[in-house]
Amino acid sequence: MAVTVSRFGRRLLGVVVFAAALGIWEAWARSEGSFLVPPASAVAERAGQVWPTTDFLITVAASLKRLAAGFVIGAGIGVAVGLMMGSSRRTRRTLEPLTEFSRAIPPIAIVPVAIVLLGLGDAMRIAVIAFAVCFPVLVNTIEGVRAVSPEARDTASMLHVSSVGRTFRIYFPAALPCIVAGLRIAVAIGLLMVVISEFVGEGDGLGRYILFQQSQFNIPEMYGGILFLGLLGYVLNRLFLLAERRVLAWHYGAAGGPAP
Amino acid sequence: MRGINQTGIVRRVQGVVKRVNLAGWLFVVLVAGLLEAAVRLFELQDSLPASSATLRALAHGILSGTLPGELRTTLESYAEGFALAIVGGVVLGVAIGSSRTLLDASSVVIEFLRPIPAVALIPLAILFFGVGIPMRRFLIAYAALWPILINTLYGVRGTDRVLHDVAETSGVTRVGRAVRVTLPAALPSIATGIRVSASIALLVGVTAEFVIGTDGIGSYMQRQQLAYQLPELYAALVLIGLLGYAINVVLRATEQRVVFWVGEERMAGR
Repeated sequence: MAVTVSRFGRRLLGVVVFAAALGIWEAWARSEGSFLVPPASAVAERAGQVWPTTDFLITVAASLKRLAAGFVIGAGIGVAVGLMMGSSRRTRRTLEPLTEFSRAIPPIAIVPVAIVLLGLGDAMRIAVIAFAVCFPVLVNTIEGVRAVSPEARDTASMLHVSSVGRTFRIYFPAALPCIVAGLRIAVAIGLLMVVISEFVGEGDGLGRYILFQQSQFNIPEMYGGILFLGLLGYVLNRLFLLAERRVLAWHYGAAGGPAP
Repeated sequence: MRGINQTGIVRRVQGVVKRVNLAGWLFVVLVAGLLEAAVRLFELQDSLPASSATLRALAHGILSGTLPGELRTTLESYAEGFALAIVGGVVLGVAIGSSRTLLDASSVVIEFLRPIPAVALIPLAILFFGVGIPMRRFLIAYAALWPILINTLYGVRGTDRVLHDVAETSGVTRVGRAVRVTLPAALPSIATGIRVSASIALLVGVTAEFVIGTDGIGSYMQRQQLAYQLPELYAALVLIGLLGYAINVVLRATEQRVVFWVGEERMAGR
């Protein structure tokens, strides 16, 4: 039976189940009357009122600014070190124990250290986000560069392309699909770190917003904040998937085949 | 031992040196030495502990039983939550992945819940479970569930149809097919999901301790930071890095075994 169902029908089934789940939540929340579980309609209503306000948009903007700054710094370091480690076996071997160890540290453990060094402000937050973003990008860059074909390497060295030229004209473009995939993983971790870094210290941002609404027992607002973070994560992931497909399409066009 | 000649011993030592990655470890020592020198020369003790002080604090913390105690608390809720996520993720993944209808039905709900960062649920989990261990267990399980569930789904969807049909015509029941055909075929993908979720779950667990906990390594670090005990703080950082590293190594070794076995099966089938 399932075979004959159209794509649209399949999607519809998912939406219907989702709507049914919301309906059950709504009915249960109304009958239970527990303040911890507000009806879905109450959450949606408050979200409709709160999300368009300037205060909330400033909150979102503060989080996004931190994410962008930390992401650019972390990804930049990840790509740079990754290119170095990917193109030279000696560099890779030398840096490997240190990077493998640093990569294994859950980034939250960097937070108290960053607080001591940088205080409770945005510098600490951006540093923590950059630290977490750096490693998935680093790992993927190394992998991407290492996958460059030996023929391309040999041709370049035969033609006396300098190591800088090789890095930017061969390794970087060849590793790009892999790097973009790493960036997509990194942006999800970056968002996680935005929330974590905003839990500590004073200031604004979505993490602080959720914690504040919880402390005031504004439960629908708290759910709304969590929901917004979910939407943000979804949109960012979609954007990166789009970019990934673009980059991959370009890569297929240039290399005449899928990436290894 | 006289049987081994000189060149044999030299070769063996060379092999060990190659495996040990001498350059890498020398680099670690160099960084630690530079840190030590910088802290001493520029008197940075107020913002950075000297490497020797960190090592002393680490040794003292371990020998006094403080650090192992905190680590055990962290690991207990981690292991419990993680185990829950593995069982839940694999069972749900196999069930949903085996049926096109179930997959379609759950798709929007999964797409809706998955992008929510698990740490954003900390305030909510505190309201539901209080500030104790159950709250951490829940958060760890929730964070670890998604990568495992999604990877199990992928693995199950990618299973060879022919295997299913053969099992079906041979009279293997639905549950039997799920356990004996689908599950083994999806194992490499499941292992990847478990490895990915291990670090996210550790991050979320330690974060919950850091934000609200009364015990565990995350809470310990927060206390050391407030008390400005820098060597103790960095000692905990080193220890937690080692823990994360150990978890990676154990999971990768386990995964290699599993993938190796499945790989051999597949090759034999071709």
